[in-house]
Amino acid sequence: MKIRVKAFAAVREILGYREREMELRDGSSVGDVFGILSISFEELGEMKDSLIFAVNEEYCDEERVLDNNDILAILPPVSGG
Amino acid sequence: MIRILVQADPIDVEEHLKDLGTREDGALVSFIGRARSRSRDKTVTHLEYEIYESMAEKELRRIAELVSARWPVTDILIVHRYGRVEIGESSILIAVSSAHRDEAFQSARYIIDTVKKTVPIWKREFYDDGSMWVSERS
Repeated sequence: MKIRVKAFAAVREILGYREREMELRDGSSVGDVFGILSISFEELGEMKDSLIFAVNEEYCDEERVLDNNDILAILPPVSGG
Repeated sequence: MIRILVQADPIDVEEHLKDLGTREDGALVSFIGRARSRSRDKTVTHLEYEIYESMAEKELRRIAELVSARWPVTDILIVHRYGRVEIGESSILIAVSSAHRDEAFQSARYIIDTVKKTVPIWKREFYDDGSMWVSERS
């Protein structure tokens, strides 16, 4: 299956993209995607405790199982206002 | 009425406030967050906000709907900037109207506190000698 990964702010700078398609095994979770990305981007792995995830614009935890065409956003701590 | 706006343009506060509330509303509370020139013992030259626009709009609306379920308020307005914000400019405008002042004050306070915790918007501070992403915790 395919998903889209969106990255913002500090995460976007580490990954070097705002959005990218990713091919995954069926049944993959948010945590699986994060694990894959952390192998290539060590700095991202170090940020793990502070990161938040959203699938299709709803916050979720890393156990969330992904479906084909889901949009996974990886978000650093927010600082609006 | 709930009105949510995210925009790159400066916020015209007067223009937004004049349409809010009804003849039954005795209170209109507004909060304006502005870009300030000092932070972390450094001189800030300007800010840049990055936004997950579609989700931020959804979250802002969710907060407004929660407020309107919890307090007897009439109108709720939230306007948030993104992109470059100059020192002294408004980055956020929150306004709540209600019959009495207590619920308007409480709602406005709840909205700004919650926006800072849950809405996917990120602030980058620029200084004379560099820049950094900031968060409430840092």
